[in-house]
Amino acid sequence: MHPSRRRLFLLTGLAALGAAAGVTGAQAIYNPPPAQNLEGVWLIEGEHSAIRTLDGRLPPLNPAAATRYAAAVKARQAGKPDFDTIQTCKPHGLPRILFAAYPIEILQEPQQVTFIHEIHHMPRMVYLDLTLPKLEDMDPNWMGQSAGHWEGDTLVVESQGFNDLTTLDSAGLPHSTDMRLSERIRKLDADRFDDLVTITDPKTYTKPWTTRVTYRRQPGLRLKEYVCTDVNPEAAAKPHR
Amino acid sequence: MIRMRWSLRGCLLGLGMLLAGAASAAPSDVVDGPLIRPATSSSDPGDLSGVWYIRLYNRQINSTLGRLPPFTAHGKAEWDARVQAEKEGSPIADASSYCWPHGVPRVMNSPYPIQIIQIPGETVIVHEVAHNIRHIYMDKPHPPVLTPGFMGDSTGHWEGDTLVIDTTGFNDRTWIDEVGVIHGRQLHVIERIRKIEGGLALENLVRIEDPEFFTEPWYARITYAWRPDLRLTEYICEENNRNMPVSGHTAKK
Repeated sequence: MHPSRRRLFLLTGLAALGAAAGVTGAQAIYNPPPAQNLEGVWLIEGEHSAIRTLDGRLPPLNPAAATRYAAAVKARQAGKPDFDTIQTCKPHGLPRILFAAYPIEILQEPQQVTFIHEIHHMPRMVYLDLTLPKLEDMDPNWMGQSAGHWEGDTLVVESQGFNDLTTLDSAGLPHSTDMRLSERIRKLDADRFDDLVTITDPKTYTKPWTTRVTYRRQPGLRLKEYVCTDVNPEAAAKPHR
Repeated sequence: MIRMRWSLRGCLLGLGMLLAGAASAAPSDVVDGPLIRPATSSSDPGDLSGVWYIRLYNRQINSTLGRLPPFTAHGKAEWDARVQAEKEGSPIADASSYCWPHGVPRVMNSPYPIQIIQIPGETVIVHEVAHNIRHIYMDKPHPPVLTPGFMGDSTGHWEGDTLVIDTTGFNDRTWIDEVGVIHGRQLHVIERIRKIEGGLALENLVRIEDPEFFTEPWYARITYAWRPDLRLTEYICEENNRNMPVSGHTAKK
């Protein structure tokens, strides 16, 4: 017998014994309804280093933000994107982490949908039982806080409470600490889902705008260990001891 | 909610020592906010989902022997070197000091909350500390070829009311505790996790084996309190890292 089969056989035996002894071995695990079931590992489709609105335009930057953006683009072209905090292993923040070309694993519970991003092994908790605090009561951080609810088969997620150290994309679209995100996540078919991301940030953009990303299921894929060593390349290059 | 982020690695500094002392005055098993989950975890012993918080954290791992693990000569020499370096004020850095994954069992012995999430075929543990994540694939053998990694490769199965996790495939960059018990690539960890105290706590009996560093397998026992009031908060080691070793110490033997 193949070792894994033998193990399974043993486990089945143990589970039967457990049941006989009144012990529940395998737990009752939540199974989301099929149309809401996003569990599994997914990978973004397409390339999203410079995000655009749904109609393919540059987002509606206000004049000050347009100046910052132009400087960022120039810095990137010159090979010195000092604005980009991911160079020193800081989190991508939202929404930028949504656009990363690394797999995402989604875990669903009745109270919570958890996104595990392979990049920087970053978790993102979307709480289905949380009312977001008022923005002025929040401590800004990299990933903000996310609260969600289901509208039919669409997971609607609101996020806020961001610091302003990240950019929305690799190109350098800026945002302020007032940014709010609204996402509508919906399965297109068994193997794809869509995230419609609306960005509202009156200090940076003249009006709210929306972009779209699509993810494809990666059957059998497991997240790999991602370790950001740029925080100390010297140490990374050396043996530990 | 802001929990004080005391750094035990910061203990290496006198100031850190003071901060740690102040923060550890608040026991981790006292519920101190509105409940977002039931006051006791579910009556199903197979349901470990929710937030748990280590009790009686000790930066030197609690061996069930009540003394240091059974070191080989090599393991003892490495321990002595680390204790001595710390005494001299120039501690040797472990992986977590560089904001890298903490490894196993080190990450299970950290003074921050953890959240267990169970989905079909997998148990995931999200750790507040440095957003470490453990993927425990259920009822599957380890892949035949493993690339050594910080967190190793974990498989799990249930034996009655106990979740048994087998982890192997480690690199040699992480430590077992924060003092000087370290390991090599032969490290093999088996954890036996079950609910105790009617669902108010978890027990983790950790078997640690590494013939390069220990003459025989030894055990640590760690317990965690059920915390129905907590959500994990964001912990970014790379931001304002107080424990980054001074260049030069990293190469110290």
